[in-house]
Amino acid sequence: MKTFEEKWTAWLDGQLSDKERVEFEASLPDKAAAEAEKRDAKKLGVLLKRELTADVLRNEEFFSHQLRERIARESVEPSRKRAAEVSTWWTIRRLFLTGTVSLALFFVFAVFVMREKNPAEQSQYLTQILNARVDPAISPNATISMFETKEDRVTVLWTEGLQSLPADYAAK
Amino acid sequence: MQTEATPAQADVSELDLVKRCQAGDTEAFDELVTRYRTRVFSMIYNMVRNEQDAWDLAQDSFVKAWKSIKRFRGRSSFYTWIYRIVMNVTIDWLRKKQVKGAGAEFDDAVELKEIDPASRTVPKADALPFETMERSEIRARIEKAIAQLSPEHRAVILMKEIEQMQYHEIAETLGCSIGTVMSRLFYARKKLQNLLRDVYENI
Repeated sequence: MKTFEEKWTAWLDGQLSDKERVEFEASLPDKAAAEAEKRDAKKLGVLLKRELTADVLRNEEFFSHQLRERIARESVEPSRKRAAEVSTWWTIRRLFLTGTVSLALFFVFAVFVMREKNPAEQSQYLTQILNARVDPAISPNATISMFETKEDRVTVLWTEGLQSLPADYAAK
Repeated sequence: MQTEATPAQADVSELDLVKRCQAGDTEAFDELVTRYRTRVFSMIYNMVRNEQDAWDLAQDSFVKAWKSIKRFRGRSSFYTWIYRIVMNVTIDWLRKKQVKGAGAEFDDAVELKEIDPASRTVPKADALPFETMERSEIRARIEKAIAQLSPEHRAVILMKEIEQMQYHEIAETLGCSIGTVMSRLFYARKKLQNLLRDVYENI
């Protein structure tokens, strides 16, 4: 549904179909005034066309020359900017990677150390006693039982049949 | 719509030039600029009424066109496409200028309220014999009248009356509907008829 303004404009410019034109003209309260208005609009168009088309670009070649230089200049600047952006991102990325690798190495190292630490916690005395037990010449009937409560961090060694204790162990 | 193309230039199709531009050929773009620079400048000059501003805005428009030429898909003519850029650049500039100036050079609201769609235009000044009016005076009257239109109304009337563009081309250039174009054209004509009747009546 066209508004009055749209119909009027289309009527002035001869863009209405015959049927639309007849309908529109029939709806006008004063057709003579509308026709006069149409003539005015045509005159206005002629005036504008005649007076405003005369503007010619002076120094056309200089215009193009200036434009070429500007395009060349502005084409270089974004590539520099991009390079700077890439460099910045590379630094940030490198920092991020370094941090990640360091963290990963730390965890691997920590796990490795933790695993290695448990056997080292075995008492040197237990080693001596175990060694002593396997020596049939010293203690042929010796038996050793070990009771360990990890929650209380207590280890009890129960020994039977020892012929002798190592000198440094007895001193303790 | 006419262009500045010489017969030799016309041999090279616009689409070929655009494709070369899209591949980064600045010489092809230079040729397109040569074809359209005068019309683009004229259009902008009629919108802004200042030669230096028109020069700068035409430069800005072509630079923008170069930067976005890869996005041109050929769905419209190159002329319509570049006109869209020109109009965006110019209307933005006029709007910013209006805000900076803090004074309404044009006022759409006043325009709509003041004009009765069915009214006959009435001259605001006594008619002067056309012969006695100097050309520069006529020009100044027209420029002053156009200055009272909003940028969108200016664009529509200039594209229609000077460039002889079709409604759909104007709509495409301004990114609005054909109905909006026709409505703007209606009010722009009414206002200019009011302001310039004593001038055109003596043609």
